[in-house]
Amino acid sequence: MALIDIENLEVTFSGGGRHVRALTGVSLAVEEEDSFGIVGESGSGKSTVLRALCGLTPVTAGRISIDGKPVPSPRDQAFYRRVQMVFQDPYASLHPRHTIDRVLSEPLVIHGLDHVEKRVEQALEDVGLGAGFRFRYPHQLSGGQRQRVAIARALILEPKIILLDEPTSALDASIQAEVLNLLDRLRAQRGLTYILVSHDLAVVSHMCDRLVVMQSGEVVEELTREALQAHETTQTYTRNLLTASAGFTRSPARPR
Amino acid sequence: MSQLLTVENLRIAFPSRKGPVEVVRGVSFSLGRERLGIVGESGSGKSQTGRAILGLTPVSGTATAERLEFDGINLRNASPRQWRKLRGARMSMVMQDPKFSLNPVMTVGRQLMEAVKLHGGKTEARDKSLAMLEAVQIRDPERVMAAYPHELSGGMGQRAMIAMMLITEPDLLIADEPTSALDVTVQIEVLRILDRLVTERGMGLVFISHDLRLVATFCDRVLVMYAGRVVEELDARHMDQASHPYTRGLLNCLPTISGDTRPLPVLARDDAWLE
Repeated sequence: MALIDIENLEVTFSGGGRHVRALTGVSLAVEEEDSFGIVGESGSGKSTVLRALCGLTPVTAGRISIDGKPVPSPRDQAFYRRVQMVFQDPYASLHPRHTIDRVLSEPLVIHGLDHVEKRVEQALEDVGLGAGFRFRYPHQLSGGQRQRVAIARALILEPKIILLDEPTSALDASIQAEVLNLLDRLRAQRGLTYILVSHDLAVVSHMCDRLVVMQSGEVVEELTREALQAHETTQTYTRNLLTASAGFTRSPARPR
Repeated sequence: MSQLLTVENLRIAFPSRKGPVEVVRGVSFSLGRERLGIVGESGSGKSQTGRAILGLTPVSGTATAERLEFDGINLRNASPRQWRKLRGARMSMVMQDPKFSLNPVMTVGRQLMEAVKLHGGKTEARDKSLAMLEAVQIRDPERVMAAYPHELSGGMGQRAMIAMMLITEPDLLIADEPTSALDVTVQIEVLRILDRLVTERGMGLVFISHDLRLVATFCDRVLVMYAGRVVEELDARHMDQASHPYTRGLLNCLPTISGDTRPLPVLARDDAWLE
């Protein structure tokens, strides 16, 4: 049985008499210790899947279960011990007036864990920052260092499932490589399960064994890494994404 | 080839508590009617180089150069009046994010027509604007003319922005990460529009980007910047012949769809590159 099971997930945002159907029946199954990717363009609903999963967005219809048990709404503490999320923009996701120490110890206090000091130091060590960063503020860190802190914050509760929402798209290429390597290493060491959302096909192909392609709130195709590498795709949309990822091509006059 | 733009020994400094910090340290290049890419990571000085060409260095900074010439005009001591005649009309700039660079309380049409009116052509402003929106592949130009920037998607907004910059038919366009905020599929479409304008109108294009792979496929020539200096100049077709360790490192650290190197090679920085 799959660790994370999402069935016919629907999310509709309503406001001012308008309804926007962000997700129109998405089903996914993610196995334990799997690294699962979601690709798609902006507005395809890929981030909404993650947000709905961890309770940041109300679910309109459908089922989400972890280990065969439906997740409670609102999510309880036990849920967040198992599932944590890393957000896209490390400049926006850390409190600007909290030290790194406070950012990292807050989840420990909420969940009543002991040895706060030791755990904070260990978490910083694990993401390659070292205890010297403990009493700094986010503005004293670079983008890559901040994203490492965000990863440390997610890992400090020792969760099994990490939701990664575009974890490297705000970073430079050279820093992206470092963060991807870190995520890879942590997954191997701790047996983590990842769901990684990205618009970058190359990043998903590097990180994930299986992936789905989303378009306007739907899953249009599910692929393995091997199939993606061999360009074995049945959907025009996926093929367009693959071509676009290869760089600029001067195509002949393009009928619209 | 006649040179459209010549930059020699451009230096840009900003004051700090520890004295002035040079963010661009002696950049020289020349541009014909071609696509020149400037690549580098955040803080390498690529955007400041682009801004200095248009005289848009922030007031706190100082830009100096031995030579800064656009089509025979010395830009170093151009008066505000001369700048006004050049900017928008003969040289213009596309910024990264349409959300921040379009006026949020003016319709796209009014902003477009303002550009036309300022540089002559009052009567045909509306027709010209509609034609330009069509030229950047906007399917329903009437609707876009009447829309406010927040009513448009990122791709549409960026196309409207490009239309506004090109409506005066400039000779030189500086595009600072024009497609970084867009989806890959939209990105290619926007690049095709720019590409056509270079080939058909003979415009000179400076394309500033952090995306080495994209620049390599789009531009004719590439300058690689590191810590305020140009470390390497390359023919875009021969990126694989890059000799500087920084360029090579940048090329290698990108994950690819087909490759499966793990861990990814990371860039080991060398203090010697700063010299």
